[in-house]
Amino acid sequence: MFHGRECPHCQAMMPLVDRLENEAGIKIDKKEIWHNEKNADLMRSLRDIIEPKCGGQLRTPTFMNTETNDIMCGEVQYGKLKEWATR
Amino acid sequence: MKKYWRCHVCNDIHYGIRPPEICPTCEFKNAYVEISSAEAKKIQAAETDMDKVKFRQAIGEFAKRNEFQVNPNTDKVNMLIDGVFSCEENHGMKYCPCRLIAKDFEEDLKLVCPCNFLIHETYKDKEDGECWCGLFIRRKK
Repeated sequence: MFHGRECPHCQAMMPLVDRLENEAGIKIDKKEIWHNEKNADLMRSLRDIIEPKCGGQLRTPTFMNTETNDIMCGEVQYGKLKEWATR
Repeated sequence: MKKYWRCHVCNDIHYGIRPPEICPTCEFKNAYVEISSAEAKKIQAAETDMDKVKFRQAIGEFAKRNEFQVNPNTDKVNMLIDGVFSCEENHGMKYCPCRLIAKDFEEDLKLVCPCNFLIHETYKDKEDGECWCGLFIRRKK
């Protein structure tokens, strides 16, 4: 998960991510991109994968399955997050 | 080809194929002159006297003249303004805190707040449209 410290959508998603980790036993690696240049560079390096699914931009929050490269971005309900993470 | 344009009345900078007929900031007509990207960068960098209070007032005034409003959720707006100023401090410009810069000056100008969200899919043709970060939302009719 790529997120920004001052991104309200990201902040709203954090409790849902924590709940998903607890309920589904899934580990989601959280990478802050505005205050951590290494994470920012990582996100930029994935532009070709992320942008087509996120309005042509690098938006936060962006969720990425590193095994399948499946991308979802934006603030979503818990059900949608879980469906994305477990499919 | 897109170029930089500067309002000779209020120094408003526009990046586009042609300048706006009416300046969205001072509302002067036919006031834009073409400038270089270096001059545009210099003008934008000089806008350092803008603090968070003035920025909040400026976006409020900007929204008043348009079909959208500043989000009434004060906590969200305050967080976003903190992010905009953090971006300016750490990365040189008032970038949107909910998107990441590409490290390409001209491309990244599109992420300077307020951005041209009217063309984004999160706003265009949506009754409850808003810019990606949610700082601006469409005004209810």
